Amino acid sequence: MLHIKIKDIKKDKIKTSIAEKFIKSSSYGASIIFTGTVRNINENKEVIGMTYDSHDELVLKSFEEIYKETTEKLKILDKAVFIEHIKGYVRLGEISIIIAVACKHRDEAYVLSRYIIEEIKKRSPIWKKEHYKNEQSEWLKGNPIKNEKI
Amino acid sequence: MKIKLELFGASRDFSNKDHLEFNIKEQIEIKDFKKEIINYLNRNFKGNKGFIKIVKTSIFCSEDNNIVNDNFRITKDQKIGIIPPIGGG
Repeated sequence: MLHIKIKDIKKDKIKTSIAEKFIKSSSYGASIIFTGTVRNINENKEVIGMTYDSHDELVLKSFEEIYKETTEKLKILDKAVFIEHIKGYVRLGEISIIIAVACKHRDEAYVLSRYIIEEIKKRSPIWKKEHYKNEQSEWLKGNPIKNEKI
Repeated sequence: MKIKLELFGASRDFSNKDHLEFNIKEQIEIKDFKKEIINYLNRNFKGNKGFIKIVKTSIFCSEDNNIVNDNFRITKDQKIGIIPPIGGG
């Protein structure tokens, strides 16, 4: 069971309560809700907010591929996965991503949650522009996208 | 042939719009299209090294949302997305 979405912060909100509702089931004994938030210091610079940019279609495609891999590579068959990522300007402390997972047992829930966030970092075309207290801003350097198909 | 280059991430600084438009006379491969983009940056941003590095380290995606390699040939009017190094989540 999978839910994926890119949410434009101007039109929509990202909420853990929605994720919690989606993964809730009496057949799962373990659930993890991971959130990523904007933190105040990066490389000694005082951050006040972050703009997230996304190639929506490719990001959603990457989420689907990652989900499929959790079945094929990790062999985690019975699961609920909820992934939402924000797009637009996010203030300090606000949530940029929610990854909620539920499985039968805790071992696979931890593995699943960790795998999804690490793969998103490597493969999903999402970019961050940091905004600093001194009114300057900067796109973070990032890493070249990993794509085994090219 | 018109190619609309959709800008993402750091490449958004290449223009005030969300895209650039290129008029190309003949079919062109991505590796040569990159040179066209760099020519544009040389003309408009005095060869800004940071911007050129973005192009060199980017990959590209086709109109049907597939990542394409340097040998991909653009044969008709279409949108191409530039995908700079990523860092989301």
